[in-house]
Amino acid sequence: MSVKQFRPQDSVDFVVVGSGAAGGVMARELSQAGFEVVVMEQGPRLGPGDFEHDELKYWYLNGIMNKPGESPQTFRKLPTDEARRVQGLNALWYARIVGGSSNHFTANFWRLRPVDFKERSLLGDIPGTGFADWPISYDELEPYYTKVDWEIGVSGLAGACPTDPPRSKPYPMPPLPVKSSGVLFERGARKLGLHPYPAPMAIASVPYRGRPACQHCGFCIGYGCEWRAKSSTLYTMIPEAEATGRCEVRAESYVFRVETDARGRATGVAYFDGERREQFQKARAVVVCANGGETPRLLLNSANAKFPDGLANSSGLVGKYLMFNQGAISGGVFEHVLNEHKSVQVTRILHDFYDSDPKRGFYGGGGIDARINPVPLGFPLFGLPPEMAWGAPLKRALREMPRTMFVNSHTTSLALERNSVSIDPELKDAWSVPAMRVTYKDHADDLAIANWLNDRGHAILEAAGATRTWKMAAVEWVNSPHLLGTCRMGDDPTKSVVDRYHRSHDIPNLFVCDGSSMVTSGRGQPTMTIQALAFRAGEHIARFAKRGEI
Amino acid sequence: MDAGRRSFVASATGALAALAALDWTEVARAAEHAHAAAAAPGASAEFTALTAAQAACVAAIAARIVPTDDAPGATEAGVVYFIDRGLASFLSANREDFQKSLAEFEARVAAAHPDAGDFAALPAATQDEVLKGVETTAFFGTLRLWTLFGLLASPAYGGNRDGVGWKLTGFEEAHRFEPPFGYYDRDYPGFVPYPPEAAT
Repeated sequence: MSVKQFRPQDSVDFVVVGSGAAGGVMARELSQAGFEVVVMEQGPRLGPGDFEHDELKYWYLNGIMNKPGESPQTFRKLPTDEARRVQGLNALWYARIVGGSSNHFTANFWRLRPVDFKERSLLGDIPGTGFADWPISYDELEPYYTKVDWEIGVSGLAGACPTDPPRSKPYPMPPLPVKSSGVLFERGARKLGLHPYPAPMAIASVPYRGRPACQHCGFCIGYGCEWRAKSSTLYTMIPEAEATGRCEVRAESYVFRVETDARGRATGVAYFDGERREQFQKARAVVVCANGGETPRLLLNSANAKFPDGLANSSGLVGKYLMFNQGAISGGVFEHVLNEHKSVQVTRILHDFYDSDPKRGFYGGGGIDARINPVPLGFPLFGLPPEMAWGAPLKRALREMPRTMFVNSHTTSLALERNSVSIDPELKDAWSVPAMRVTYKDHADDLAIANWLNDRGHAILEAAGATRTWKMAAVEWVNSPHLLGTCRMGDDPTKSVVDRYHRSHDIPNLFVCDGSSMVTSGRGQPTMTIQALAFRAGEHIARFAKRGEI
Repeated sequence: MDAGRRSFVASATGALAALAALDWTEVARAAEHAHAAAAAPGASAEFTALTAAQAACVAAIAARIVPTDDAPGATEAGVVYFIDRGLASFLSANREDFQKSLAEFEARVAAAHPDAGDFAALPAATQDEVLKGVETTAFFGTLRLWTLFGLLASPAYGGNRDGVGWKLTGFEEAHRFEPPFGYYDRDYPGFVPYPPEAAT
């Protein structure tokens, strides 16, 4: 197959900035609709043969991720604090390769539920927060969730969860084989009257659309899939976009500015190529899918005389309302061997505590899953409480790893205006582009619901017959891979950045679609929703283009 | 991604902060270094970044973090060689600070135990007491992190010799496994659906 290549001076129909969860979908939707598309990706293009089982490199040396050395960030908890340069791991982290974070995600694919879209109306205002309804409903997004299930590829069991939201089609693939952690989770949760069910995962459980089934190597979370079984856009949307003959994915092309003309319309993007030479790609329209961190940074860094506060920022909300999703962990040791290092991270979840309940005294809800986090290094580094940090207690815990499992709670984060991505006044990256400054401190309710749900998770381990358990309290996040809310969608141009079709309120040929579009955080696992939004936005954008309305 | 991943990150940030920003080329160099050493057994008695005395102290601390009992620990994994190679390559930005902290630690030990000479010469129970006194310091946090790296990271980096860390934790590195994976999923009868009234 010869893949189309465009010249920068050719004015293509669309430039899509970012090739990840949203950008990959956008590229396929727009190119299949008949448009010429250039996708800009900061990082290199890797293939199955490049992905390694190297925990030290992938987890502790930023293997495929944005690196604090060349792509630095500063962090502070509150706007009144001094923002300090982050070392070791960036505050907002993502996979900086073709396919973006859809390569290294865990592949938990939860839909939002009808309540997520109208929770503000149902519960009322939460003073001091930016808690708001979405401009769209679950019913409007449902067909696109189904598209994700079928075209990206999700394994699961429809109707297994008694409170499953309405779905127009079942899953295309059966659930992945249950692990011992899933069996024990199910046993404990059922004993407590709860409703555990097979986890929906964006991993092929059977051969699907030319990709093999999962081989259970266990390297999902934080890794690229060497089998192509994980439904990353690298293996799904991007090859299909390229097969149209109208789409070029330009790797090692780092977009640092969206240009606008005297009329205030986007004209294309300025970027650095692999040799760090400045280039300019002309385009009739620009779609920014760079993730909830890089998208607002790009819009703010694109400030010019006509848009002194950055592009699409007449509301002043570009970069505001950053949300991460909270959560906490419990661990348990059982009599017999589980061997959790084998196969996918999660096989059973429950959503009995999804809705917020005013009786608890705080806002929030979530899901609980049975899981293993990256092992073996991650096991002692973030799976054990301080009393097992070293010496004989650590040694014992290490020896018990084959008989240990974890239960994680995944919960809400409230939108707070102070939590944000902004431009650091001093720090620049290796390309001399102003770096991002991250400000983030969880709302008290975020921590309260994480701990409340973790108590339920811990009870499940006890009910399942664990011989030894522990519970780790929720901590204030100082970094995250869930990058949400920073260019929120809405009908009111003074209170949102993009409209219900992801068109920026200020610039008619500038669209934004990724985690930044989300108005509320959901209950964790945002990628499913990011991709449903991208399918929906892609369809509408193509329709506008065909009608000459861009 | 998910809460577990982030929770580690939040709790380990103190220790991770000690790691300098790195890039692939540096890691590749480290791996090369490790591979070369692995190909030349016997050369491992040589230290590159650490002096023999520093290495003895690091090895002694690592041996208390993951002690040897009837199963191998940090000593058998060759953690000190991993740390030495790391400090000569992908951890090199930390070298000066680390050696300074190590000297301070030894000075404190010498002051409290003038007869022993150095930490490595202390009895294990006394070593544990000393470490208890510093267990919340950045120095100890960093050494714990590096000890675990040296125990559990790929043997290609120079530690985890003969895969002892992986054997200890029951971890197997493979590209493919088949169900059943463990004891409890062996006889799983299949998912039993809930009655319709469960949807409340």
